[in-house]
Amino acid sequence: MLEARAVHKVYDSRGAETHALSDMSLRISEGEFTVLAGPSGSGKTTLLNLFGGLDEPTSGQIRLDDQDLAACTRSELAELRLRKLGFVFQAYNLIPVLTAVENVEFVMELQGVARAERRRRATGMLAELGLGELTSKRPLELSGGQQQRVAVARAIVSQPRVVLADEPTANLDSTTAGGLLDLMQTMNRERGVTFLFSTHDPMVIERAARVVRLRDGRVVADETATSL
Amino acid sequence: MTTPQLIWRNVWRNVWRNPRRTWLTVAATVFAVFLVVVFVAMADGMHGKMIEDAVRLSSGHVQVARDGWLENRTLEYSLRLSPELDAELRATPGVLGIAPRVSNAGLLSHGEATQGVLLLGVDPPREASVSSLSSRLWRGAFLPASVKRPLVLGAQLAENLKVGIGDQVLLYSIAYTLENAYELFEVSGTLRLPDRDLERGLALIRLDDAQHFFALGDRISEVALLAAHASEVPPLTASLETRLPLSGAEALEVNAWNEVMPELEQFIIIDDAGMYVLLLILVIVVGFGILNTILMSVLERQRELGVLLALGLRPAAIFRMVYAESLLLAAIGFAIGLLLALPVVAWFTAHPIPLSGAEMEAMAELVGMEPVVTFELRESTLPGVALTIFGVAALAALYPALKASRARPVDALRGL
Repeated sequence: MLEARAVHKVYDSRGAETHALSDMSLRISEGEFTVLAGPSGSGKTTLLNLFGGLDEPTSGQIRLDDQDLAACTRSELAELRLRKLGFVFQAYNLIPVLTAVENVEFVMELQGVARAERRRRATGMLAELGLGELTSKRPLELSGGQQQRVAVARAIVSQPRVVLADEPTANLDSTTAGGLLDLMQTMNRERGVTFLFSTHDPMVIERAARVVRLRDGRVVADETATSL
Repeated sequence: MTTPQLIWRNVWRNVWRNPRRTWLTVAATVFAVFLVVVFVAMADGMHGKMIEDAVRLSSGHVQVARDGWLENRTLEYSLRLSPELDAELRATPGVLGIAPRVSNAGLLSHGEATQGVLLLGVDPPREASVSSLSSRLWRGAFLPASVKRPLVLGAQLAENLKVGIGDQVLLYSIAYTLENAYELFEVSGTLRLPDRDLERGLALIRLDDAQHFFALGDRISEVALLAAHASEVPPLTASLETRLPLSGAEALEVNAWNEVMPELEQFIIIDDAGMYVLLLILVIVVGFGILNTILMSVLERQRELGVLLALGLRPAAIFRMVYAESLLLAAIGFAIGLLLALPVVAWFTAHPIPLSGAEMEAMAELVGMEPVVTFELRESTLPGVALTIFGVAALAALYPALKASRARPVDALRGL
């Protein structure tokens, strides 16, 4: 499903090179519930960005459904993201001019889902995440935790095949985070949606079926639930 | 799939995200549209009036003459206004008046004073259907039948010759037969004309007297035609050129007012050019205002644009969205500018501004028009202004739209 083959990612900032990923090879199969764990700077976010087609590797290949992302045009990448991927960003990144429900509807709107259907699904998802009363609020009127839940709703409501989530529980209390993870696990179990998280949160790591530990841009451990 | 509703909803909300900045840009556009519409209407009104005044004063909108007349202006190129030709001209759609004329140069002498003049032989009733000469009578009568060989002079010419109503003056010229022609004429009236050059040099006699004086028989030098408006001249000349013989022994030529008076057309072109350069500078300044607003807006939204790309919005849709924001700003400014400008133009179209002061009157005299400022909103003005404003807005949006659509999602998300 998702595969990194001998990926190197080097950032060049004013002549100073930073090796974010070094010879990274990793395969994520369909239906996995996987966590990328590791300290800051270990390459978790970089790897998520590469898997999402938001960035290009310096060398090596990133493949989605056996398709090399480097061979895609910008429009094809946008189409891939729209049809197959859902993103939860570290900093929520909601669209400020849209209300909560419009933010959640946005991807479905791009996908061409009918207005009534997408409204039904968006309000249902927000209600499930405890935001049923806040659908018409704009992001600036919401707390950080509420924004994070809207961002998660936006990522999963269009039922993508893969959800890439960068620290999805970072701004949530443990109860809300637990509820969110329950929802994601249900989607994973019942609909086969693949989840790939980057996180420091032990609660997320505990629930993961697979934990890939990174350090200095390399995989240092790859543990499945049975070995955890 | 990106629906237009999705784009326009985001565009509308983005535009009003910073209302103060948006209103400042809109205000600049309103100001530009207002000035452009008002100034263009004023210039078109003034130029239209110049043309109509000049046309009604002497040339007519169109002149039909013997082929070669305009270039040579000698009686050798006179023509016979046959009943068939007269009927053909009357039957031409768009012709409101027909005035046959004899025109030639001459000398007027009274006592010790002699003046070169443009001598115009006219048929008073038919001339009144084309020119305003008879209505500009200042003193006396306009070529009355009761006077034998009456003569009407520009008031300044009469003053220079020191003649009054009832005085006899001697007219000299060369006849069609190339013999000397001279005859006594009686001053029956004087004209006040907005064109002082013409007032110093124009002498009118009756058409039959002119034909007799120049030994022309029933020939004339030209036929002046009146149309409803200068804008109808091109179709009228085109129509005449299909109806009249333009080749052969009796070939005719059809001359529009701008061919008869090229200096007036050149004056208008130069005047327009100066105005349009100034207005273009104004519109370009507005374009930079729009560029600044849109570019600031794009730079402030780098992260958000990255999110849109990450969520699957295509780069082309981002480009269209930023572009539409610029066009929306232009559209709001254009609409408000028009709402403000149109009543002003309508008011001054109905109520021309009289010019006062010696300098203004002298300027009006210079171009041979009455000293009033008139307005005219032509059909082409609003589409032209719209095209200019939206064109400038489109150009101004190009760089920000390209910058937004070419951003790498990961850079945009990092706010780079």
